[in-house]
Amino acid sequence: MVGLDYVANAVVSGILIGSVYSLVGMGLALIWGIMDVINFAQGDYMMLGAFVTYWAFTLAGVDPLLSVPLSFLVTFALGVLTQRVVIERVLDAPMVSQITATFALLLMIRYGAEAAFGPYTKRIYVPYADVIFRFGTISLQLPRLVAFFVSLGVAVAFYVFLKTTYTGVALRAVSQNRMAAYLMGINVRKMYWIAFGIGVGISAVGGTLVATFLPIHPEMGGFYALIAFIVVVFGGFGSVFGAYISGIIIGVTESVSALFISPSLKDVVAFLLFIAIILVKPTGLFGTEQR
Amino acid sequence: MLQFIKEGLSGKNGQYFAIVTAVMLVAPLIFWKLDLPFAANAMLLCLMFSIMAMAWNLLEGYTGQLSFGHAVFFGVGAYTTMILMLYYGVTPWIGIFVGGLVAALVGLALGVPLFRLRSHWFALATIAVGEIFKLIFISWDYVGGSAGLQSPIVPEEQKLYYLQYAGSYVYIYLALGLLGLELLVMYPLVKSRIGYYLQAIREDEDAAMSLGINPFKYKMVAMFFSALFTGIGGGIYTVRFRFVDPFAVFDLISVSVYITIAGILGGIYSFVGPIVGSFVFVPISEYVRVYIVSRFPRFYGLHVFVLGVILLAISLLAPEGIMGWLEKKGYLKKREESGEVGEK
Repeated sequence: MVGLDYVANAVVSGILIGSVYSLVGMGLALIWGIMDVINFAQGDYMMLGAFVTYWAFTLAGVDPLLSVPLSFLVTFALGVLTQRVVIERVLDAPMVSQITATFALLLMIRYGAEAAFGPYTKRIYVPYADVIFRFGTISLQLPRLVAFFVSLGVAVAFYVFLKTTYTGVALRAVSQNRMAAYLMGINVRKMYWIAFGIGVGISAVGGTLVATFLPIHPEMGGFYALIAFIVVVFGGFGSVFGAYISGIIIGVTESVSALFISPSLKDVVAFLLFIAIILVKPTGLFGTEQR
Repeated sequence: MLQFIKEGLSGKNGQYFAIVTAVMLVAPLIFWKLDLPFAANAMLLCLMFSIMAMAWNLLEGYTGQLSFGHAVFFGVGAYTTMILMLYYGVTPWIGIFVGGLVAALVGLALGVPLFRLRSHWFALATIAVGEIFKLIFISWDYVGGSAGLQSPIVPEEQKLYYLQYAGSYVYIYLALGLLGLELLVMYPLVKSRIGYYLQAIREDEDAAMSLGINPFKYKMVAMFFSALFTGIGGGIYTVRFRFVDPFAVFDLISVSVYITIAGILGGIYSFVGPIVGSFVFVPISEYVRVYIVSRFPRFYGLHVFVLGVILLAISLLAPEGIMGWLEKKGYLKKREESGEVGEK
């Protein structure tokens, strides 16, 4: 029998790792919601964020937390470039071209990084990695706790950005009705650049946070992309805040279920859940009807 | 059925077909004589992926269901052939076909839930199904778990029964025969009423339904034949490489995506497109993998990067594939149904 304190511990660590899943999911949901494009390479932009942090730390000794803006800006720039060079051309193309184009990005980024950085697992050793807080039976690792608060901060900042700034309102307008937004004088093309840039940038922040307490690898994006898809499906497509909540729910579910079932079966359950959700309620928990 | 084949082989088509067949039949002999194992192996893989890409294209090109999960059928076919041979001593001559049938049944079983999904939902779900199969086979002891299964070592006089020959040369003829069989089944199928039903479903499922076509039923027909021949491709893999493990045969990239790229590169709205695509794409990928990545393991991943570049280039520059592009430029006679190339 699994003790209650184990469960409490699992819930807490699930919330902490879930907040990272949330960031990756939010990026995917943003791009999906605004452009109706599924970015299969989302997890790989996250990996790029993690590697920006790794190299900044290894080459210049930049603390991983200070490299959050750096990793966001680098992937933001790459995202805008991707949007201009690739996504723009397939926006009105058949569905199969959209899927294959972003899938091609996945292959190029993931395996390009593998060829460039070598197929090795890397790890950042921050001085505070082993600082652990204990509250009764619950123990918290400092980097994970920091990751949670940074993730929350990013989510709140993003919320404020969407609600209060001109660009944020314009982004939401474009997502609701592209043509109407265009007629209101919004530069839709530019909004799409910004949307893709921010979408991959937010995921990259998730990568940076993960790099502080988990090993990183060029192929790590595969796992997080899967999680991101589950998060987005669960939270409802295009619903950025549904994605944040469902990221945490998925994190908790994952770490609690790890107490009861073997790790390999755990992933089978995750995939089955994914298929079950899209079969039963493709609009997700917090989603609205699809256009 | 014969009438369709006669039509297909009339005029210029028949001449091309005869020339290509003759080249294919002579090529392995030349490779063998000149001792070119790399070329022979590449040709075998081209044929294997031709079989599977054509099967895949029955679902994508004709029916409009983009599958990233054909590794499931490939793996099931490979494992069935292996298990029959290893545990029951059944010759692969039968095992390959049984493997195809089992894969087809798996396809039908998967089709029931999956065909309730449309467009990108279907594609996403097929990825998930592929991963589920990989994970199940990893933890399933009967099929060897993560270590996989290896063909029995057999005495010299039984090599015909167990189909164990050195190199790829003999297997090329096996793959050619199976590709020929597939053409004999697929061509009449897509030229028949069913083929046009499938295309109607691809163009507009609701409209097809309003005309009295049951989309689910015909998608299942397409799934059956698609999974059947993909499973047969898996059987060829088993006899040639004599070793199956879940990481290799259920791999998303090196099986499912390979098939997809071969199909799309050749042209999904063309009957022979996937074969052309395989013969262009597989040698490039194999060359990079064998001559660059194997020699410089530090650059592991480069071969997949090249796949990505190719896939991106087709998606952006020629979404209609090689055959579609040739038609557009006027090098090939337009087919009757080519009006819909490049449309949703």
